Amino acid sequence: MKTSSKILICALVLVLCAAFAFAGGKKEASSSDKAYVAGKGTLVVGITDFEPMDYKEGNEWIGFDADMAKAFAKELGVKCEFIEIDWDSKSMELENKTIDCVWNGMTLTDGVKKAMATSNAYCNNAQIIVVNKAKAGALKTAADAKALKFAVEAGSAGEAAAKDNGYNAIAVETQAAAVMEVAAGTSEACIIDSLMAAAMVGPGTSYPDLTYTVALTEEEYGVGFRKGSDLVAAINDFFKKAYADGSMMKTAEKYGTQASIIPQK
Amino acid sequence: MFQEVLLRLCDGFLKTIELFLLTLAGAIPLGLIVAFGSMSKFKPLKIIVRFIVWIVRGTPLMLQLIVIYYGPGLLFHQNIWGMGTSGRFTAVMVAFIINYSCYFSEIYRGGIESISKGQYEAGQVLGLTKRQVFFKIVLLQVIKRIVPPMGNEIITLVKDTSLARVIAVYELIWAGQTFIKSDGIIWPLFMTGIFYLLFSGLLTVLLAKFEKKLSYFN
Repeated sequence: MKTSSKILICALVLVLCAAFAFAGGKKEASSSDKAYVAGKGTLVVGITDFEPMDYKEGNEWIGFDADMAKAFAKELGVKCEFIEIDWDSKSMELENKTIDCVWNGMTLTDGVKKAMATSNAYCNNAQIIVVNKAKAGALKTAADAKALKFAVEAGSAGEAAAKDNGYNAIAVETQAAAVMEVAAGTSEACIIDSLMAAAMVGPGTSYPDLTYTVALTEEEYGVGFRKGSDLVAAINDFFKKAYADGSMMKTAEKYGTQASIIPQK
Repeated sequence: MFQEVLLRLCDGFLKTIELFLLTLAGAIPLGLIVAFGSMSKFKPLKIIVRFIVWIVRGTPLMLQLIVIYYGPGLLFHQNIWGMGTSGRFTAVMVAFIINYSCYFSEIYRGGIESISKGQYEAGQVLGLTKRQVFFKIVLLQVIKRIVPPMGNEIITLVKDTSLARVIAVYELIWAGQTFIKSDGIIWPLFMTGIFYLLFSGLLTVLLAKFEKKLSYFN
């Protein structure tokens, strides 16, 4: 029993070491990513349910990002396939080739830029404070919120904003969890994306008593690809073309994001 | 970098061990009470206890954590946990202890019901009270029989502690995941596996020793 269990433990540890040595070692996409996607005939887009960027209507994924992704795939001459992923695992999904890009209102943080190759920024976003309606009146500036207890998504731009403003914040798993904290009263306020806040709280949602107030930091959205991928150049060209011919703005107007679009030149 | 990762993972691992030990300390005795309840001759009590066991075993622990922590505030507008980190930890403990005592209670029940009637009768003949028969004759035999299934649950608990992160209790997996989000590196998450493996390996050895110690019954 003793020796055999020792051997078993050693074997398992070895397998594990091999696994992350492999994960750490494979950095560069070996040949052309564009050719790889063209070869299999589908562009697999990693998303989460995130109105108004990617969300479901019936069986169809729509939204500003979803529609743009479909147009990009069409330009590449491949089919577009959406897969819902665990947002924390997005870089692993990319390296693993289970998705080809992350296109889901992804904030271009330093962490993201380190983990993947990113497109030019295409959309502005702000980090915004969500509180109960009763508290909203007293919140006029970022300094007014200093006394509140915050919930923020771990590793998000919201967490960085909380740090910059010296807020007392606890990190939770997702932005949705941060909103739930406020609704349950386990935190007083949370910091989430303004585009998400617009869709998630207020009348007609499960959080009718919540509202959004002060905007903290401005930030930009981009699309993520595998490190070294030549699809980055392709998408930047695509964005330029779509902006120039007006189709990008037209899509944005459909989903109410036109005020946030960054001109592509 | 490696040092920083190791340090952060150790922090998370300490929280994992704390969760693990306190859950066992609470669930092992509470499970016995639940087991008695589910074997009670008083029908209403038995039905209620078995209903609770069904609910707890029939829903995911992750959902129970969310309901216990956010439920009071969301449903009754009465957040009973406060806003600090201690409230989160208490909520996790409540959820884990309730969940594990229900699983343990079924193992206890199996163990207790497997002891032959002859043992009780022999105790009675010797003039022992019911209580004495249970604690002096039956319990030790039960313990011996339930060590393997309890070992199973205990090792499952080591890994279930990772669920605590859904209500922001920073255990080992959380510690590993933060590096993906902030630095874009993946290997710390894989490294957490080594901690779990070593810990459950240690537990396996301890449980085997304990089992050996009890072998004098045969």
